[in-house]
Amino acid sequence: MFWRMVKGALVRQRAKRLTILLTVALGASLATGMLNVMFDVGDKVNQELKAYGANINVLPTGTAVLGERYSLENADVLPQAQLAEGDLGKIKTIFWAFNIVDFAPYLETKAAIDGDDVTLVGTWFQRELSLPTGEVTQAGTRNMKSWWDVTGDWLTDADDGAVMVGSALAARHGLQVGDAITVEVNGRSTPLLVKGIIDAGGDEDEQAFVPLRLVQDLEQLPAAVGRIEVSALTTPDNELSRRAAQNPESLSIKDWETWYCTAYVSSISYQIEEAIPGSVAKPIRQVAESEGAILEKTQLLMLLITGLSLVGAALGISNLVTASVMERAPEIGLLKAVGATDGAVLLLVLVEIAVVGTVGGVLGYFAGLGVAQIIGQTVFGSAISIKPVVIPLVAVLVSLVLLAGSLPSIRLLLSLRPAEVLHGR
Amino acid sequence: MRRQSMYLRMVTRSLLGRRSRLIVALLAVAIGAATLSGLVTVYHDVPRQLGREFRSYGANLVVIPSGETPGLDRSVMERVGRLLPADATVGVAPYRYDTVRIHEQPFLAAGTELPGARAVSPYWGITGDWPAASGDMLVGQDVAKLIGLEAGEQVTVTGVDAGGKDVERAFTVTGILQSGGAEDGYVFTDLTDLAALAGGDRIDVIEYSVATSEEELAATAGRITDTVEGAAAERVKRVSSSEASVLGTLQSLVYLVTLIVLVLTMICVSTTMIAVVAERRKEIGLRKALGADNRAIVAEFLGEGLLLGALGGVLGSVLGFGFAEVVSLNVFGRGISFQPLMILLTVVVSVAVTGLACVLPVRRAVDVEPAVVLRGE
Repeated sequence: MFWRMVKGALVRQRAKRLTILLTVALGASLATGMLNVMFDVGDKVNQELKAYGANINVLPTGTAVLGERYSLENADVLPQAQLAEGDLGKIKTIFWAFNIVDFAPYLETKAAIDGDDVTLVGTWFQRELSLPTGEVTQAGTRNMKSWWDVTGDWLTDADDGAVMVGSALAARHGLQVGDAITVEVNGRSTPLLVKGIIDAGGDEDEQAFVPLRLVQDLEQLPAAVGRIEVSALTTPDNELSRRAAQNPESLSIKDWETWYCTAYVSSISYQIEEAIPGSVAKPIRQVAESEGAILEKTQLLMLLITGLSLVGAALGISNLVTASVMERAPEIGLLKAVGATDGAVLLLVLVEIAVVGTVGGVLGYFAGLGVAQIIGQTVFGSAISIKPVVIPLVAVLVSLVLLAGSLPSIRLLLSLRPAEVLHGR
Repeated sequence: MRRQSMYLRMVTRSLLGRRSRLIVALLAVAIGAATLSGLVTVYHDVPRQLGREFRSYGANLVVIPSGETPGLDRSVMERVGRLLPADATVGVAPYRYDTVRIHEQPFLAAGTELPGARAVSPYWGITGDWPAASGDMLVGQDVAKLIGLEAGEQVTVTGVDAGGKDVERAFTVTGILQSGGAEDGYVFTDLTDLAALAGGDRIDVIEYSVATSEEELAATAGRITDTVEGAAAERVKRVSSSEASVLGTLQSLVYLVTLIVLVLTMICVSTTMIAVVAERRKEIGLRKALGADNRAIVAEFLGEGLLLGALGGVLGSVLGFGFAEVVSLNVFGRGISFQPLMILLTVVVSVAVTGLACVLPVRRAVDVEPAVVLRGE
């Protein structure tokens, strides 16, 4: 009988129930969409901020401490310490391997183009790399230097006889794409074809870029790398990571573990040093610090916007629920007149709301996933990852809102006098 | 005249007479309006506010000597300063670079105006203090490690003046600088201190941190190169173009979110209004029985709705401004500029939405047969 009454109320007054169902669904979808986006916005903005390039610089131990000492006077005399090209893949095997977005090795040498001293930089442009784990990954400058404007074409790592020159250098020598130049290194001449001109708005405008292999051959340093730039997704620094950056050994074991297992720029640097023998990894503060600041701001902004929209949706829904329950005063009056107890009335109303709320909530949840993906695709061009924690959050939110909405009206319904209501007062 | 005062009285009485329903409807409208004005204000302010945050990436414009000029002088700073928007310039730092010797080892010394350098490069990490007086020095961490310097130590720096003679000066190391970049290998002193050590007065490069859009920055750079003699301005492309792309993404995020929230709040406001009007069918029946024509009824309900919309709009725009202010203060630590146009827009939109939301149920309601409604069916 009870269920028949519930069913009757739901089916017969379809239009009215549908309004509530729709509102609940709208509210739930808004909550789902916003919460999913909010939880993911950090990762997404972090990805966007990778446009600023590397945030970790990996150098050979020698250059970082000792080499500096002689770099101004005796650089050519002392053998420079180098990193091994074969070790590069190890960067993608550290604890936070998935947070390493990209990296690129560099080996520089002094060269002369038409008698003009320039820095010739050997690098990876877009190298396929098979990892010890069996995965294949891509690394190189092409993805890291998103702000470079290249006239002509990017080099590939197989282009042995080609070069990309900086715009200032090209302007000084009147170089065009397709021109042939001669580069002199250590007294040996190599003919190269200009394949692209880089407008980078920085030091790179004065340099020339060739595949790493070429510089290694010219310098007779097989498989050597002078410097690696790493672009990693990091967590903003806090007090712990600052302490750790000073000296990781000073931490207690528990703190050390927390630090090691969080993607701070300092812990990722530490792990890179562990993975690559003879290396010093230094966070580039310009990128690392600013990222932290902007990430925090964006997350806080999203949190507040989400909060406001949730409050708005909640008030809207509970308003509507209150109105719709009150509307049913005559019906409840009749029920009471034929002998329904307060408990029975309460149960009836609550079950009805629960059914409508559940259906609306589930519908809204899935619609909300759609909303989140629309935001993800239009704004970030990638899917928003779906967090399971949103489900209980939305469920609790919807139940609270429905309960809050129905409470005042239920109190009113219980105090109804059947005779008065039926009389039409 | 009488008709009008009667109409006004009916509208206000019906609002005041059913206070709880009024509050419900007003609340709905006000919240909708608050969401609208709050989010639009935030959306409007995001590029300006976040643009400031992006200045933590450091200089986005540098001025260098052009042509045959060996260096810049201070008059260039003044002239460039006049071309830049004063309220958008976050920091200005002139630099000159010279080789000096510390403990008989050569190092690159950068002379600058340290308060300016601090404003331009907020990402520098300093262990110790920023230099406050002449004779103070910042030392890059690589240099400090190499020669074993710590904050607070005294050190003698040797330079070569214009005549080729050695000049010695004592400096206090107030802090160790960490940046992870080239700065780690430099020492930083005041411009005048370095001039005393290395002779001559020149500036090699001036760094600017300007909170403005990429296009405007490019235009400003062009203007500086064209009008300031002996100087050329270049955008630091890595900073300025990355900022434009990230900022664009963030703004479109807030835009989309605003749009979605807006649509949903409007639906919520309309459903509430529909429920409020539908409840009053009996009253409509009674008035029709007393001889009111449809037009009078529609006019009354619409008048009520519009009044509600206006009240809710004003209330909402105040709340919304409060919200935007809270967001701005919490997130960016700065207040928000007040926009009177925003209030007007909010009120107009909320009046329109409530009016529209009323039309449908009222039109349905006027179709009722008075007798049927009054009998309670």
